[in-house]
Amino acid sequence: MSDRLRRKLVWTLLQMGLLMLLVATANATTLVRLSFDDLARQATAIARARCLASASLWRNGEIWTETEFAVLEVSKGTAPGILRISLPGGRMDHLQSHVEGVPAFRAGEEVYLFLWNARGRDNYVLGWTQGTFRIMHDPRTGLERVTQDSAATPAFDPATREFRHGGVRNVPLPVFQLKLKRALEKANR
Amino acid sequence: MKKQWWIARNTMLALALIFTNALQAAGYAFNETVPDVRLPASFSGGSACPVPSRQTTASGSIAVRWSTSLSTNPVTILTQDQTPDGRLAEIEKVIQQSFAVWTGVAGTTLKPSSLAPLTRVSAATSCGADGMNSICFDQPDMAFTPGVLAFTRIVTADHAGEQLINGAAAAGPGQILDADVFFNPGDSNVMFSTPAILAANPKSYDLESILTHELGHFLGFSHSAIWSAMMYPFAPAPGTISGVRPTVQAPDAPLADDDRTGLRVLYSDPTDATYVGSIEGRIVPANSLSLPANPPGVTGLFGAHVVAVDAASGAVVAGVLGGWSCTSPGPAQFDGSYAIQALPIGHSYQVYAEALNGAVDPTQVSNALTTLCRNPTTDAGWPPLQSCVVPSANTGFTLRVRPAP
Repeated sequence: MSDRLRRKLVWTLLQMGLLMLLVATANATTLVRLSFDDLARQATAIARARCLASASLWRNGEIWTETEFAVLEVSKGTAPGILRISLPGGRMDHLQSHVEGVPAFRAGEEVYLFLWNARGRDNYVLGWTQGTFRIMHDPRTGLERVTQDSAATPAFDPATREFRHGGVRNVPLPVFQLKLKRALEKANR
Repeated sequence: MKKQWWIARNTMLALALIFTNALQAAGYAFNETVPDVRLPASFSGGSACPVPSRQTTASGSIAVRWSTSLSTNPVTILTQDQTPDGRLAEIEKVIQQSFAVWTGVAGTTLKPSSLAPLTRVSAATSCGADGMNSICFDQPDMAFTPGVLAFTRIVTADHAGEQLINGAAAAGPGQILDADVFFNPGDSNVMFSTPAILAANPKSYDLESILTHELGHFLGFSHSAIWSAMMYPFAPAPGTISGVRPTVQAPDAPLADDDRTGLRVLYSDPTDATYVGSIEGRIVPANSLSLPANPPGVTGLFGAHVVAVDAASGAVVAGVLGGWSCTSPGPAQFDGSYAIQALPIGHSYQVYAEALNGAVDPTQVSNALTTLCRNPTTDAGWPPLQSCVVPSANTGFTLRVRPAP
């Protein structure tokens, strides 16, 4: 393939990815829909991070899961080198605490986290699954792709009898980064 | 029952077939618990098969209290009656109505009599994992962020006899020991209105719709991927409601058939003779090389969304996230099995299926698909023969219909 053809193909893929992002919405448990621009604007910090470990614990009469991340890159605001995220739910001994819509993380995986830190409290993930964007390595192509947690499951539309995919889903990492950059520029205007 | 045969093709052109009526499977989007088989069988049941989380439904067995502590700065619950007593009565009516939506479904063991009388508590922090089901409108410090309206936290036991502080001991694994509903108390952009005042406050959210959805979680539901379902993850837009309002004649009117079918599976009534149909099958690739090599033992597509549509009315009757089955003593087998159960008999159905296209990891999918396995890594001393690892959801498969033979 010539360089010209390759550039054209990459540009076409970028355009397709951007089109997907333009129609992005988000979903999760009983959440308000937050667009990608909303997420970028409202996040107090945005970071690319690698999950180091997770542990559940009792705190104030609830089971929480605290996850530790190594921050690899900060796109907005500030974040410590080691980031700790608290989310409700987890497992302690013989008790399992479920909260639908809360993201769970596995050691070693990389994510973009849109963070929310209000009044000096713990760091939370903005909109929970909406603010969680996982970076997956595609073994077929070697490319990294990004999928928003809240966009993972296809929804069935009874009216059209078709499955619909919303949100940021399976987007090449460079396209996601470009989208994020533009959203942050818009938020700063 | 009309059989539908499907052919699936992934991006590597490997073919996949969905066989209907082939094998038994467990499914539906319920929260699942794997019993602790390290304990004696008299406590765990001896099987590592996941069991759905559920409440007990004997008369008066579901006790619920709600906190009358309401957020005042900002005010988040809007009522038509502005007197202190009137406000509480109006909110309490919404709570009762929302429960009645679920107990109004025919063909289940969940009856209005399953609920103990609703009680009030004044403390703001009533929603703790203490063995008492609660609804709280002003509980602080629960990881709320902008965009989070409400959530429900359920605590389940993995064996009989487990107990929380103030609650009764679990009769068996999967029993919900505590279910608490939390509403966002501190977001100045979020307000909830009772049905009486919603039209006058079009920027507020319908309290009844949000609470009815949360009570689905309270009963053990995970999320549904059917747009019209009450358990669909999106909240209705401000000023609008989910479905239609309940009536005396149709107390379950806000629910979709998918919600009703799920409830009939979760709280199946052995005396019911109407909702006893099922569509079961497997989704397997024609080219087994397209299946993941790790973890070992995966023989079918995992994580496919399968939907049954009534052929005559076009109504979406139910949908499940399939891909696994389990036979005692377990563990779960990832063989592509799915089962859509509790369907009304005497109808024909069309089945639609879709794999989770894209880069999808089990952690991104519903809790229902991520709590199917335990092993020595997650639980020290777990017996290897009853261990499993949840595989990644299959991606990249596309499906098309092949006419029935």
